[in-house]
Amino acid sequence: MSTPTTARTTPGTTPAGPEVTPVETASTRSVLGGHASRLQRVGMTLPFGDERHLAAHQWLVDEAWLLDAQAYSDWLALLTEDIHYVMPVRVTTALGAGFDTSPGMAHFDEDWYSLSRRVARFLTEHAWTEDPPSRLRHHLSNVRTFATEDADHLIVDSATLLFRNRGDVHEGSLVSAGREDLLRHTPEGWKLARRTIMVDDSVMRMQNLAIFL
Amino acid sequence: MGVRRGRLEGANTMTDQSGVLTDVRRGMIPAHIYNDRELFELERERIFGRAWIFVAHESEIAKPGDYVVRRVLEDSFIVARDEKGEIKAHFNMCLHRGMQICRAEMGNASHFRCPYHGWSYRNDGRIVGLPFHQDAYGGEAGFKRKGQRLLPAPNLASYNGLIFISMDPDAEPLEDFLGDFRFYLDYYTKQSKSGIQLMGPQRWRVKANWKIGAENFAGDMYHTPQTHTSVVEIGLFREPKAEKRKDGCTYWAGAGGGTTYKLPEGNLDERLRYVGYPQEMVDRMKQSLSEDQLKVVGEDGFMISAASAFPNLSFVHNWPRVAESDDVLPFISIRQWQPISENETEVLSWFAVDAEAPEEFKALSYKAYLMCFGSTGMFEQDDVENWVSLTNTAAGSMARRLLLNSRMGILEDDTEVVPALTDEQFHGPGVAHTGYGEYNQRELLNRWADHLEEPVTAVSTVEVGGPGARPAVGQEPAGAATAGGTATSTAADQVGAQA
Repeated sequence: MSTPTTARTTPGTTPAGPEVTPVETASTRSVLGGHASRLQRVGMTLPFGDERHLAAHQWLVDEAWLLDAQAYSDWLALLTEDIHYVMPVRVTTALGAGFDTSPGMAHFDEDWYSLSRRVARFLTEHAWTEDPPSRLRHHLSNVRTFATEDADHLIVDSATLLFRNRGDVHEGSLVSAGREDLLRHTPEGWKLARRTIMVDDSVMRMQNLAIFL
Repeated sequence: MGVRRGRLEGANTMTDQSGVLTDVRRGMIPAHIYNDRELFELERERIFGRAWIFVAHESEIAKPGDYVVRRVLEDSFIVARDEKGEIKAHFNMCLHRGMQICRAEMGNASHFRCPYHGWSYRNDGRIVGLPFHQDAYGGEAGFKRKGQRLLPAPNLASYNGLIFISMDPDAEPLEDFLGDFRFYLDYYTKQSKSGIQLMGPQRWRVKANWKIGAENFAGDMYHTPQTHTSVVEIGLFREPKAEKRKDGCTYWAGAGGGTTYKLPEGNLDERLRYVGYPQEMVDRMKQSLSEDQLKVVGEDGFMISAASAFPNLSFVHNWPRVAESDDVLPFISIRQWQPISENETEVLSWFAVDAEAPEEFKALSYKAYLMCFGSTGMFEQDDVENWVSLTNTAAGSMARRLLLNSRMGILEDDTEVVPALTDEQFHGPGVAHTGYGEYNQRELLNRWADHLEEPVTAVSTVEVGGPGARPAVGQEPAGAATAGGTATSTAADQVGAQA
């Protein structure tokens, strides 16, 4: 249970680059994640009764509610200033290829500035893609919490299934993804310092990603 | 292509569309063309069965053995760089029982082995393994393995590393097809002698007709102040303020056209730096672009923005702010509107950047791309919402009663509201206009009409190693393009026995 990487091809890997980084994360492998924290999980999944797991799980459930409600200013306040928010583009590759994300490309590869612009746009009166707004439901499951070397940081794995429906003509669309989050304890409570979204589609079936996962 | 005004013939199930084409040619667009099954079947046969369709860029398959799998409508092709460095495109179907041989999107392989019965092929398409050849077929006497290869793309050529396929073995050369649009294509793809690198694509499906995106990118400067108000309000992009777009020009030349922004006063270097190019990239552009290409920027003061090449390839070049500063940074995206049906399109969106650009520029230009275009882009989000709604609304009977007015920029007697720019005002080929106009949307749909009106010739079939198989046409295996340059080869129409 302790290691998440028993698959023959580790999900979310890219071809080996020329430089060797001491700690490999999805952020270090992305184009714009050099600033992100490199903290990694340590040890086994925390017991479900552990207070750290309970705190992390509640944080994710509360966050999912904010995303469903499109309460994006409140959501932005839950992110650290050094946030890295990355969603690689998945590609279909042969089993032995050793990678399954598109080299040098992502759907999201965001820092606080770019996320703040996305949120600011939704707050204008002219973000037509969400006027009328979508009906959103982020279904959250498979939450596992891990300690790190730093007592103020936790790693949380989760699965998310977003159902999004717009208008009255087309059926709703789905995005299924696994996430790895780095949560940091701050004086204002837990905040998100790093998120990797490993989407399960290579070709998205949603008209755009004017949403957050 | 010849223009025939008569009743359409050829396609079995087609009703008479000549009235539709006549209306389109006078700039009155029958609204149902954006969601019409019969027209889509005609487009399949007469546009996607004939025109040059973009499939990949050479930088995506940089090393021998690199391949990507790309489609022209339903037809899957393995686009690979073989061991000699030549680029080949082969139909992704085993010659034996028709199994799809390569089921990955990309990778590196010297051979492709069919998972069904184990026939295998080199990355140049030649068959190399046929299990139990002697026992099963009596060897060469029964099945001539020697000389067999996967079915090549009927026609393959490249320009500035952009690889195109035509399903027509007799297609006109790619350079002639693109015509003078190549002048503008160079701004996106030849900022240095090394050309561009492509990253991606992001791929997603939208419930919209493919033509809408192509028209929008070709010339819809009029939508920017309305659709994209929000990106100006948040300080992402300073250009598309209401009124400003009419100072830029739209141009049409050969197979494509696009929009530009008017730059502030300044010389060539100042104007390129205004959109965020560092001086070293400016210096390389001065080496790789022609005198006239540089004059369009430096003397005429126009900077390319969006563009489309018929039928379904588009480009964008914008220069947003990517951090809390007044500095802007340019990015380039190449995108394809791959039709799925009359009301669904797969968008393939690549980030492109000059191969010789500094690494920091490449990273920030990528950030600019992600913020503006692609699956998460803040411009693109609002575009797609419009296009999906348009397609929905075009489905029914009322849309068949409505002719949309696409005559912006011309009066009732077809004279122009604002005269075309003179050769002194605009140094690029083709015709360019400032002011609001839908010149380019009309040009694109006129080409569409020309293609739909012209029947295609019947395609020949191919026998695989059968008793009556004729030798393949030509010596050079089809589907080969020379890396780096422009090359065209004609397809063999037979995968026959080459004894």
